[in-house]
Amino acid sequence: MKSRRLVAAALAAAASLLFTACSSGGDSADGPVTLKFQSLSDQPAAIAATNKIVDDWNKAHPDIKVEVVQAGWDGVYDKLITQFNAGSAPDIIHYEAAGVVPFAKDGYLADLTPYLSEQKKTDIPKGVLDSVTVDNQVIAYPTELQSYVVFANRALLQKAGVTIPTGDTMTWDQLREIARATTRDGAYGLGWGLSSPTAAMVALAPGFGGKYFDGTGTDAKISVGQGEMALPQLVDAMAHQDNSILPVTLTQSGSKALAPFYAGQTAMTIQGSFQAANIAKDAPAGFDWVVLPPLAGPAGPAQAANPQTLSVNKDSAHVEQAAQFIEFFTNTENLAALNEADALIPATTSAREALTTKLGAQNGWKEILSSGQYLTSAPYLFVDKYAQWKDTVATPAYQKFLAKQIDANGLSKELTDGWNSINR
Amino acid sequence: MRVLLRPTQYLALAAYILLLGFPLLWLISASVKSSGELNSLTVSLLPQQWHWDNYSDALDRQGLVHSAGNSLVVALVSTALVIVIALPASYVLARLKGKIRAAGVGWILVSQVFPVVLVILPLFLILRTIGLADSLAGLTLVHTTYTLPFALWMLQGYVSAIPVDLEEAGAMDGAGRWTVLRRIVFPLLMPGIVATAMFSFVSSWNEFFFALVLLQSPENYTLPITLNMFIGGEGKVSLGPLAAGAVLAAIPSIVFFTILRRRLTSGLMAGAVKG
Repeated sequence: MKSRRLVAAALAAAASLLFTACSSGGDSADGPVTLKFQSLSDQPAAIAATNKIVDDWNKAHPDIKVEVVQAGWDGVYDKLITQFNAGSAPDIIHYEAAGVVPFAKDGYLADLTPYLSEQKKTDIPKGVLDSVTVDNQVIAYPTELQSYVVFANRALLQKAGVTIPTGDTMTWDQLREIARATTRDGAYGLGWGLSSPTAAMVALAPGFGGKYFDGTGTDAKISVGQGEMALPQLVDAMAHQDNSILPVTLTQSGSKALAPFYAGQTAMTIQGSFQAANIAKDAPAGFDWVVLPPLAGPAGPAQAANPQTLSVNKDSAHVEQAAQFIEFFTNTENLAALNEADALIPATTSAREALTTKLGAQNGWKEILSSGQYLTSAPYLFVDKYAQWKDTVATPAYQKFLAKQIDANGLSKELTDGWNSINR
Repeated sequence: MRVLLRPTQYLALAAYILLLGFPLLWLISASVKSSGELNSLTVSLLPQQWHWDNYSDALDRQGLVHSAGNSLVVALVSTALVIVIALPASYVLARLKGKIRAAGVGWILVSQVFPVVLVILPLFLILRTIGLADSLAGLTLVHTTYTLPFALWMLQGYVSAIPVDLEEAGAMDGAGRWTVLRRIVFPLLMPGIVATAMFSFVSSWNEFFFALVLLQSPENYTLPITLNMFIGGEGKVSLGPLAAGAVLAAIPSIVFFTILRRRLTSGLMAGAVKG
């Protein structure tokens, strides 16, 4: 009896607590403007860097207060769709170009062109700025970038008599040669986590002259020609002719392909540049690793950029102030600090140079930051049904190709027919 | 042959428990491994070095305890609401005959086929209109609504299993409707109520999507949302702290189940009706 009363009292107390938990916010008539900034920073150091930038801003601008609302990457697209449709989106939105372009096309994001300072405009590489420009409107400021780079086990390369490349770039042919040379004594030359291969194939295609898409929106046409097929065919040749790629890695995620690299089962691995931080943290003691120069194809070392971004909600009552904050957020010092914390590449040239000056001597940073200069606009960002094509057509097709279930013609046909049926 | 039967039974039971418990064991193991060990090819249940930092990292980094408090309040209140609403409704549903019952049962089943993405936007707009968007109260109402149909379905199955003869016997002895319900039906229904409460609690405790979309303020985040923050952009996952957080998140559920486990005994039914 006593316990029943206790349970009932506890439930009643919980209910009363719960129903008084509603909060309210907003600007008072004569108080400072308050901006909600939905941040997706996830690493402790990056969260600290973001909070520091916001604190600095709030100290310098008591009349424009920025409040950080921490959110997670996973599921953020669904969250934003609901927020935009319900008119409750935050003033400042952190996301990525691939994610915000569709929102911009639907008219949810403010045109930031009038607020983008001339200095900032020239500081952002054209290709990167193009990736956040929709219908001639800048709809986001790019902040952080990643590229694909080659991490190598110095000891295994030296053991195979390979001279470690040191130039500004290295060719894919060089990579193939090194992979061949280091495939020995039970180890493979390369490990490449290609369980979800589309992102890598599309991002690295510009180096071979590949674009995949011409046009934008629903008018986009796919073209899968020599430039687009060069990289998949190269991977196929390395995996099945040279036998220089550890087969299991082709079915793994990028992160999973790091374990055989640490264990000396692969001499090199192609990864997102941010993995440098994880390798520094997780590799066994004494593991001597190096980042090789940016990869260049016949068309150069270009890679498609999909930067993290900051946008402004078009329905915000304070678009101008939000844009002012983003200008501040993306100044050289702030972007350098944020990208150092996240182990990513700053989206402005000045911040990249500042970080090179500061960290260039540290393992891998010089090559990774150098790869940032080659990042260019990605045509797929402006294609309406890219995400659907990627998940339902491209990824299964690449997987079948890498598993030798279809040949190059079959891959090209599946990619093309699949797009045409989706984009009817 | 019969001598071997009992050991074989124990062996089978041990294997079954191991099979069920292995994911939890592995989770606990992962929660005390360093990032380097988690990302190496060496696979072992016992860590090479016990790495407790994952727990402090999980607790310090994302306000896990506060989120757990939010989850607990929402789960307990929504469970209570579900039971309070489902109990009389399920009795009526089980004892009713004819088209109304068929329509009721049909509607319960139909309500389960709508995908959540279909209802999330109208739900958000309704909650905002009544001032409950981005609040634990709003989320509790949503969890109650979301869990209720299945709880109703589950509970009416338990009611149907109670022979009407028992109620009639009680009535024959002079008990009124309320007395029959209180003295005969509810005690026999207790295991069903407990099972339904467990289901409701776990559904609410683990629910992610509604919480993700409906809650905007970090102070209102529930545990799944906070745990989700250990999964970052660019495929970055803080595996150790995530595992530690998941272990901590499992504790209230285990406690809740332990408390209610004894109540699940169905022995009350034994011998109630002569064959």
